[in-house]
Amino acid sequence: MPEVEYPSGKKRQAIEMGVLALLAVLFLSVSLYVQNPFAKGADPAKAVGIIVAAGLTLVMYSFLYRDNALFKIAENLYVGVTLGYGAILTWRTALRPDVYMPFFEAPTRAAFMAAVLHRTVPIILGILLVTRISRKHGWLSRYAYAFLIGWGAGVAIPLTTHTFILQQLYSAIAPFQSAAQGATATAFSASWFWDVALPVFGAVLVLIGTIAVLFYFFFSVEHKGAPGMVSKLGVLFLMVSFGASFGYTVMGRVSLLIGRVQFLLFDWLKMPK
Amino acid sequence: MAQRQAEMRQFNTVRWTIYILVALVVVLPYVLRLPLPLKFTPSRDVRKLYDRMDSLKPGSHVLLSLDYDAASQAELQPMSRALLEHCFKKGLIPIVMTHWQSGLGLDKQVIDEVANKAKEALGKEVKSGRDYVFLGFKPGYSNLVLNMGENLKGAFDKDYFGQSTGDMPALQGVTSLKDIDMGVDLAAGSDVGMWIAYGSDRFNFPLGAGTTAVQAPDMTPFLDSKQLVGLLGGLRGAADYETLLDMPDGGTTGMLAQSSTHVLVILLIVAANARLLLGRSARKRE
Repeated sequence: MPEVEYPSGKKRQAIEMGVLALLAVLFLSVSLYVQNPFAKGADPAKAVGIIVAAGLTLVMYSFLYRDNALFKIAENLYVGVTLGYGAILTWRTALRPDVYMPFFEAPTRAAFMAAVLHRTVPIILGILLVTRISRKHGWLSRYAYAFLIGWGAGVAIPLTTHTFILQQLYSAIAPFQSAAQGATATAFSASWFWDVALPVFGAVLVLIGTIAVLFYFFFSVEHKGAPGMVSKLGVLFLMVSFGASFGYTVMGRVSLLIGRVQFLLFDWLKMPK
Repeated sequence: MAQRQAEMRQFNTVRWTIYILVALVVVLPYVLRLPLPLKFTPSRDVRKLYDRMDSLKPGSHVLLSLDYDAASQAELQPMSRALLEHCFKKGLIPIVMTHWQSGLGLDKQVIDEVANKAKEALGKEVKSGRDYVFLGFKPGYSNLVLNMGENLKGAFDKDYFGQSTGDMPALQGVTSLKDIDMGVDLAAGSDVGMWIAYGSDRFNFPLGAGTTAVQAPDMTPFLDSKQLVGLLGGLRGAADYETLLDMPDGGTTGMLAQSSTHVLVILLIVAANARLLLGRSARKRE
């Protein structure tokens, strides 16, 4: 893809600024006319919120033209607002109810003692994590990390092994098991085809695909002759998988665009649904 | 230099043509109010989730974990709306929570919206603590799920509005995740895998999922192993659920724009490949 070069120069910049100003005026005029936050019975906070959101959406799409100052402002605003919102929510949903209130707003002495008993160690471990910001005292955070990793691994290993390996293994073997159990029953009937033959065919296909794809990444043998054919089969399976992922990704990205378009048309421009 | 400038011009022309075409196929169906020309059949995985939800008795508890934020709102918010509408329509009690603190506002918004709509449809007020529970956000992720599996009311001693969960009528008969009749995770991240490993597999409750389209193919193994009872994939999944529910909304209205964009993408892929092949054969002839 050739790198895009834009001719620079004061004239071009002036034209761009002029167009930008014109678009800004147009946007504000349309927004104020449609949303009319000062109208009787209007919800000014909601209207202003919609105008700001619509403006930021359009500014974000201005990147399609090229990187520009308004896009940069919106980008930084997004990061700042997300951080600020996150900080407030962390205080309101975690620190205040779980750290501050049990100690400083304990209703009884017994509740205060219970907080001291149950919450002191976790709070100390939490504070130790923050010592990472200091070069001198950063080593203290290792105690907290050691606890986190040790506890996490102990809990996670059995559960994830069961969910992601054993259950999946069972699901891969299950069609063969049901085929073996139903082998004497109505062979070559319609139900046999759907309930036995097709799942077994699927399971065999998955097995062949898994081996072929793994072989594609196995470099100890030269991929010529029979190994080469297996490797090519692996590429074929990979392409099918990438194709499915690409299709779904296109669908996802288009959905995001549709979401914004729906917002601009129905919420900002108040087009009837 | 002149050749490079010509290349750049051509590149920019193609780029802008694609942008304009995509914008047109997305916007025009709404502006011209084009009807959806084809009837789409809901997919098998969506139907499974719908049937499972529909088979629950009134008063059953459905845990909805809305694990997304504004970045995935377009795909997952219509799913939340459809699932909540189904719950209120059937008299099920949704217990809503999130692992994403940045999505808390969206969750509140969709609950209020659907509760108001249900109030109009049912003619009675849908009340927090009686008809639904909004637990809100708590940090902890997988640890929180384990905690809920041991003692749900201990993990969330208060709901989003500050009401105590201990004597909440909507949570009568629920002490832990084991008492949940059904769980659905609508996730923009890796939360579905976590809910399966730490929640449904460990505490034995049926789990369904709704994911962004990008993630949907990764969920297929869990459907095959029956660790998920059903799956809503992307905006199409939401539209399928709305169709089954007979309540067309944001998902269904997006389908024409989605389908026309898909046709455009296919045409562009064909055109680009044809151009590549023609260029290659022309170079060979030279």
